[in-house]
Amino acid sequence: PAVARENNCLNAAKACNLNDTCKKYRSAYISPCTSRVSTAEVCNKRKCHKALRQFFDKVHPKHSYGMLFCSCPISDQKACSERRRQTIVPVCSYEEKQTPNCLELQASCKTNYICRSRLADFFVNCMPDPRSLSGCLKENYADCLLSYSGLIGTVMTPNYLRSPKISVSPYCDCSNCGNNKDECDKFTEFFTENICLRNAIQAFGNGTDIGIGPQIS
Amino acid sequence: ERISVQSRGCLLKEVHLNVTDLGLGYQTKEELIFRYCSGPCIEAETNYDKILNNLTHNKKLDKDAPSRTCCRPIAFDDDLSFLDDNVVYHTLKKHSARKCGCV
Repeated sequence: PAVARENNCLNAAKACNLNDTCKKYRSAYISPCTSRVSTAEVCNKRKCHKALRQFFDKVHPKHSYGMLFCSCPISDQKACSERRRQTIVPVCSYEEKQTPNCLELQASCKTNYICRSRLADFFVNCMPDPRSLSGCLKENYADCLLSYSGLIGTVMTPNYLRSPKISVSPYCDCSNCGNNKDECDKFTEFFTENICLRNAIQAFGNGTDIGIGPQIS
Repeated sequence: ERISVQSRGCLLKEVHLNVTDLGLGYQTKEELIFRYCSGPCIEAETNYDKILNNLTHNKKLDKDAPSRTCCRPIAFDDDLSFLDDNVVYHTLKKHSARKCGCV
């Protein structure tokens, strides 16, 4: 085509920096999430998580979701998708030296008041239902996206996996599960293979989400 | 202590730029609003400035040319962060004006 392919994730970043509130809270999390504190630690993860929670709390979804849920063509696995994956500064907010077991991570989340309530919201609002047209039991994409973004800045912080299709996961796996392998797989699949969450993200990215439209115009 | 006076001529202006336009050596496609201070500060001049003007004019200061009242930022805008083409984040501090004064 004559027109260069648009990078939606780049466009969202541009729009954020042209908005005073988004620009302020974006740099307010990127600073702590990219500042090395010692030779051993790439950043202060606690400060990074707190600033990320503030970003999603204070910035209009038009801008914050614009960056987090931007749509990328399948052909583009670099400029667009990598930028989307970098939104939360995963080297600080997401990755760990060792990959924990997902059920252990879930148990650690439940000891924290914020994490426990946000994980519960996510399981309610993004519950898939293959029989419904939306793919969701509660046919409300906005509530699902809000619950998902609410997990960012907790120990359950999810991110996009390097995969051609939209697939997200907290930083954990199901190795060393023993008898709880099935339970652990069910937990991870709620993130990685969730038709409701995937449809909600795609609908926002394509601008076809009826649930959020009027609120953020 | 620095004295600043609000002057009608010295105003905050803004321009929409690419980060690369700043000439700081970053490679990125991100953009920003750059705000700067511009305008005359004649109203805000003190006896000090008038004296400097007269002394310079009468060549009483040898080759010195001390600065007179300038329209400058007296507060800076919030930090700006952006992701560069090599997927590295950068944060600029004190890069853009928030409030101007004749100082």
